[in-house]
Amino acid sequence: MSRWLKVMAALFAFALLSAACSSSDDTTTTTAAQTTTSSGTAVVSIEGAGSITATFLPKCTNIAVFPQANSGAEEAAAELGSETAAFVGPADCGDATGQIEFMTNAVTQGVGAIMVSNNAGDELAPSAQAAADAGIPVVSWDSPIPSAEGESVFIAQVDFDETGLVMAEMALDILGAGGGQFAILSATPEAANQNAWIAAMEEALTADDKFASLELVDTVYGNDVAEDSVTQALALVDQYPDLGLIMAPTTVGIVAAAQAMTQEGLCDQIKVSGLGLPDEMREYTESGCAPQFALWSFVDLGYLAYYVAYGIATGQIEAADGVTFEAGRMGQYTITADPTRDAGLRVLMGPFTVYNADNVG
Amino acid sequence: MRDWAARHRWETVLGGILLATIVVNATLSPFFLGFGNFINLFWLSIEKIIVVVAMTFVIINGEIDLSVASVMGFSAAVMASAFAGGDIPFAVAIVLGLLAGAAAGLAQGFLIARVGLPSLVVTLAGLIGFRGAARVLLEDRSVGDFPEWFDRLGQQPLIGSIPLALIIFFSLLAVAWIILERGTFGRKVYVIGNSADVARYSGVGVSSVKLRIFVASGLAAGLAGVLFAARLGSVRGSLGEFFELDIITMVLLGGVSIFGGSGSMLGVALAMFTVLSIRNGLGLANVDGIIQTGVVGLLLIGSVLVPNLLEGIQSRRPAPEP
Repeated sequence: MSRWLKVMAALFAFALLSAACSSSDDTTTTTAAQTTTSSGTAVVSIEGAGSITATFLPKCTNIAVFPQANSGAEEAAAELGSETAAFVGPADCGDATGQIEFMTNAVTQGVGAIMVSNNAGDELAPSAQAAADAGIPVVSWDSPIPSAEGESVFIAQVDFDETGLVMAEMALDILGAGGGQFAILSATPEAANQNAWIAAMEEALTADDKFASLELVDTVYGNDVAEDSVTQALALVDQYPDLGLIMAPTTVGIVAAAQAMTQEGLCDQIKVSGLGLPDEMREYTESGCAPQFALWSFVDLGYLAYYVAYGIATGQIEAADGVTFEAGRMGQYTITADPTRDAGLRVLMGPFTVYNADNVG
Repeated sequence: MRDWAARHRWETVLGGILLATIVVNATLSPFFLGFGNFINLFWLSIEKIIVVVAMTFVIINGEIDLSVASVMGFSAAVMASAFAGGDIPFAVAIVLGLLAGAAAGLAQGFLIARVGLPSLVVTLAGLIGFRGAARVLLEDRSVGDFPEWFDRLGQQPLIGSIPLALIIFFSLLAVAWIILERGTFGRKVYVIGNSADVARYSGVGVSSVKLRIFVASGLAAGLAGVLFAARLGSVRGSLGEFFELDIITMVLLGGVSIFGGSGSMLGVALAMFTVLSIRNGLGLANVDGIIQTGVVGLLLIGSVLVPNLLEGIQSRRPAPEP
């Protein structure tokens, strides 16, 4: 009984607090329309409030998903009446520290907001912190800054723990109840998102007995470069004669692995799965080489990232735990503490779509 | 002044290119001509240009060092793994990293200067070998969590808005200029670069000069590796990968002959500033990284073509009457 009282009291305090916050927001922003949900929390509908300059910084510019994300950001900018963000970044994803230069240039330009998919670990943190010190919100999407230093909020495509579970489920589905050996083909060793997914998958494997028959034999890195990924995939085949599956949580790795297995005629023995783009994977899914893979919409991710960055830059929302907002066609989201990191805030987009021969076309 | 320009034709041309670059950049972006941006311009590539200073000696001496970027990675990896091992103070780890760079230079220099192997082959092996060693030391990990003072030195300004690495670079540049163009050692470097045989017959200690230059090159690469680690806050096996291309580009663009024997520190300094300005200016104008590389490539081809063309035109002209 006393626990219920505490919960009610906490809820009441929270409602009061958010009401207080939103009323102070009212005085600074006149354009933000506010509605109230049944629970009493204020929802800020992010709307056009003038044009801002911004930098949309992908891991690199030559991988299909990043121009897709940028097209989402362009769509959002157009809706909000803002100018299109500059889409700049390293030419090659193997260049993990190349983003520092682009981040620093954005600060020099004094842009209104920076949206980044971090390709390094905390190596980007000092330049992100410099942006924050200059009053520029840094919204990460796709891949966060692990320490959250300098970062306002992370737009997570899906829950990272769920990614691990989805990959484990796909592995079990493909290898069957008898299980078998599989290996992971990742991007760069420092890619924060990939590492979190791999860790989550390892955890999922040990957490549930139904995965006991699955044996993860190795994790290798293709650096999100097609040739490197093919080389690594073939090396796995040589090294593990009993390998049944290559799990690649990267859109570059999964295509490279599927291509390599198809060319070598190994698709009967070794299947490919992971995170892939339907456009690039269709042929391999229909051939049975990659029977299942999963992904989310990168267009939506870029769209949501722009809305949040714009909302923060124009003062309509604050990057704080519990802030709820409405982002155009995608609807309502809430900023929360990021449960997958020690520090930092996140907005969870979701959901996952698992593709197979039935829905890939 | 005209005299100086005639004797330093390439430096004069470079000065013109640099001026044009600055004017174009300033029109492309209002942010280019800021003091803070000039600091950033050097800071973002400081590790490369520190190595460029040493590379100038190597190439004027008629040799090449392809291993510098790998030695950067190797030195930083030695420092990081010595530190991660636990018990030794971080300052000792830094010294170990620097020594690793110097040792890499010494080993390669010995094979080139004493054994007489071609530097292209020896340092190509070094490029592969030291990168391999860095990757073996660190595997696929990134080693970080260095002491706060180290990260601060790498990431924060030291005096006013000037960071430590810039102070080190400009001091090195000044010292290198004096050694190369105002001292006997520098004269030997040129003489050997022109003709090692002539130098040997004139009693110049060819192999000892070459050895010292390669040790200096390794040490500079080691220093650059340690500074890069401080700027990034962590070290991975791939640190500095492919930097050798940019480094050699800047030296050649500076008018240093790939066959040795000619070139000046001023030319190289102008080339550095030009390349960095182009990258920075195009970056501030939101021009893609691929195009930036293309522009620098064109400039390098031009730098080889133009002096040759000028020479051709001059030799076709009838010689002035005595």
